[in-house]
Amino acid sequence: MNQFRLFTPYWWILHVVAVVFFFWLGHIVHF
Amino acid sequence: MTIKTYTKTTLLFGLVALSIGGFFLHLRIHPIAKNPANIVPVVSGVLGIVIVPLLFSSRRLISYGYVINGMQAIIGTVLMAHYSIAHWPAPATPAAMILQTLLADILVLWGKFFLGKALFDLEFHGYDQTREMKGKTYRYPNYGWWLIHLATISLVYCLGHILWR
Repeated sequence: MNQFRLFTPYWWILHVVAVVFFFWLGHIVHF
Repeated sequence: MTIKTYTKTTLLFGLVALSIGGFFLHLRIHPIAKNPANIVPVVSGVLGIVIVPLLFSSRRLISYGYVINGMQAIIGTVLMAHYSIAHWPAPATPAAMILQTLLADILVLWGKFFLGKALFDLEFHGYDQTREMKGKTYRYPNYGWWLIHLATISLVYCLGHILWR
């Protein structure tokens, strides 16, 4: 479960990508 | 067949059944022919029907199945809650808020999350009935960790919607 340790490079990349993705998702979705 | 394999199979069937049900519901509500963006629930559905159960079947990859299954529940919740808020019933009586929003769909989706949680916990904590649950609530893979992610993803999504128009 090394990949789920906090603040590793893997953790940072995953979280930056996730934040950008969800920010973009909020931007494109209009109901 | 061991009890473990038997129970795991039962839970996997539950997961696949709910995924297929959700997939068909999505196809009925918004077909791809109507809007190309409707490919998103289709891809998500295929992920839920094929990929996630395969990941859950493998002990080495079960963490990925667990995280993807939970994230799908969170994304579905955020999007369906957004849709419900955008199409808020008028007049907003308690009955209308329960029956004329996507609350029912969100609750069914969380059924899928809990099936995944049971599969994951049975794999990692085993079938010892007397074993105590250990670990901090807010750390992976416990419920607090999911709550933090639900809250944070909702917040980032809302900020994207409000700030980047």
